[in-house]
Amino acid sequence: MRLSETNKAWLLLLPAFLFLLLPLYGLLSALWSSLTVNGAFSLSVYQQLMERDAFWGSLFYSLRIAIIATLLSLGFGLVFTRTFTHYLNKTSGKLAAWIPMLFPHFVWGYLVLLLFQQSGFISYMAFQIGIIESREAFPILTNDKNGFGMIITYMGKEIPFVILMLLPIYAQQNSQYHDLVRTLGGNRWHRFKDAEWPWVYPVLLETGVILFSFIFSAYEIPYLLGATFPEMISILTYDWFYAGDWSERPLAFAAMIFTSVIIGIIAWIGFSLMNRKRWLLTKGSR
Amino acid sequence: MQYKPRMKTASFWFLTGSLFLFPVLFLIVKSFTLPWRYQADFHMHFTLRGWSTLLSENQLISATFISLLIGAVVVLLNLIIGLSAGKALAFYQFKGKSIMDTLFLLPLIFPLLAIAMGVHIAMIRLGLADSWIGVVLIHLVPTIPYSIKILRNGYVSLGSAMLEQSTSLGANVRSRFLTIELPLLKPALRSTIFLTFVISLSQYVITAIIGGGNVVTLAMVYFPFLQSASSTVLAAFSIWFALVPILFYLIVEIILCFLPYQSPWRIKT
Repeated sequence: MRLSETNKAWLLLLPAFLFLLLPLYGLLSALWSSLTVNGAFSLSVYQQLMERDAFWGSLFYSLRIAIIATLLSLGFGLVFTRTFTHYLNKTSGKLAAWIPMLFPHFVWGYLVLLLFQQSGFISYMAFQIGIIESREAFPILTNDKNGFGMIITYMGKEIPFVILMLLPIYAQQNSQYHDLVRTLGGNRWHRFKDAEWPWVYPVLLETGVILFSFIFSAYEIPYLLGATFPEMISILTYDWFYAGDWSERPLAFAAMIFTSVIIGIIAWIGFSLMNRKRWLLTKGSR
Repeated sequence: MQYKPRMKTASFWFLTGSLFLFPVLFLIVKSFTLPWRYQADFHMHFTLRGWSTLLSENQLISATFISLLIGAVVVLLNLIIGLSAGKALAFYQFKGKSIMDTLFLLPLIFPLLAIAMGVHIAMIRLGLADSWIGVVLIHLVPTIPYSIKILRNGYVSLGSAMLEQSTSLGANVRSRFLTIELPLLKPALRSTIFLTFVISLSQYVITAIIGGGNVVTLAMVYFPFLQSASSTVLAAFSIWFALVPILFYLIVEIILCFLPYQSPWRIKT
């Protein structure tokens, strides 16, 4: 009887496993393409990759942008959700906060371009009010070296995502824990740390890992809002992948494998922290 | 006591208004006005040219249909995979279940670009590259993990008691699925369908790689427009991107009405 139940579960999981073959095959095939030269195993592609300054520049630049955008989205999302749980729980608030989710990333990116570029709406308004004298006086905020345009786009799209992930926790929050901390003389910080953080932290980590890996390797936003130099790793990879004579295709694969390894390490750290916390939580309650 | 909530309400609406609502309103206004010029005083010239140029673009309607078709098939496959895996993860106990949760998240985490580049050659060999089926398959990668997660949570909050009761009353698997699971999972189904469709609509680079420029979805039309079209036309196109999921949502709502027990005239207790 027990065996048949287990088999039933595996049968139900079968379609999902079949699906997993696709990304798995993709990654392995990319790995394979980066490790073979004319059909023979070789590390020479990676050697070449290490010698490219463009690669290291892109890698660290992407890392920086991804970390900044992720942390800002998580921070603002968290503060917003816990401050406005009550409003977000109502249909009107929910709809308003999730409007950006209706739009693809690149549309939101174009919007940021319309608002923030030198000839954009904000610059135009500043000019009309008389804050700046010409549009050249407006700071360069899109396609800029610091990645301001990219970061602001990701924040606009990801803060609603963070709210979406965190809202169930705050909506179902047990207020008795807050009361308990208060009774025992805890201040606001203690209430946050002991009555909220243990529940919020695992979800925040998971969301953070998803956001970081996405922003680190996404193509569309850097294409629209990135600077020509330094460029994000995805742009460099794409250029290598489609470079005229295919001679740089192995480099494109190697760059993506390198990126995947970094993401893998960060995800592994995140998930192991998360699982430990989850385990402690389930052990503690019920 | 009265003061604080009012302040809070005001600040909530101020923030959501300026961060989330204003950009959309701005796009709408932009799609109906001519681009501004610095020399002149503040002005807004109403125009319908943005929308008429967009709608007369002969690729637009066909691309919209292709996006709807691809999105619909992606949604359908997501529901099949998500419902079955979600059920297994919610109700059954087996070894390695916690690893499975992480495993199903992995496709979201590894670079889509790497996966698309990796499967590209295989897709060519299988004849799936440059075809909409290949594009559907690659669109599964960024969507399935969300579907499994949402539908799993849906099944968890549904609970197994209701399902056990129907079995003990003699319902077979099919009628249980149609009359209990689907109607009660409606909120989760709605989120899955909507999110999946929007994600599918948003994919540019993987559609370009696998579709090879032959599968012209809306995103494939939008990107070249960025170089050539005026901001008025592009603003209209941007609005179009939000209208398509809304249209899809309405179609889905009509289909969901055909689920059992959805008659608006039935007595609710």
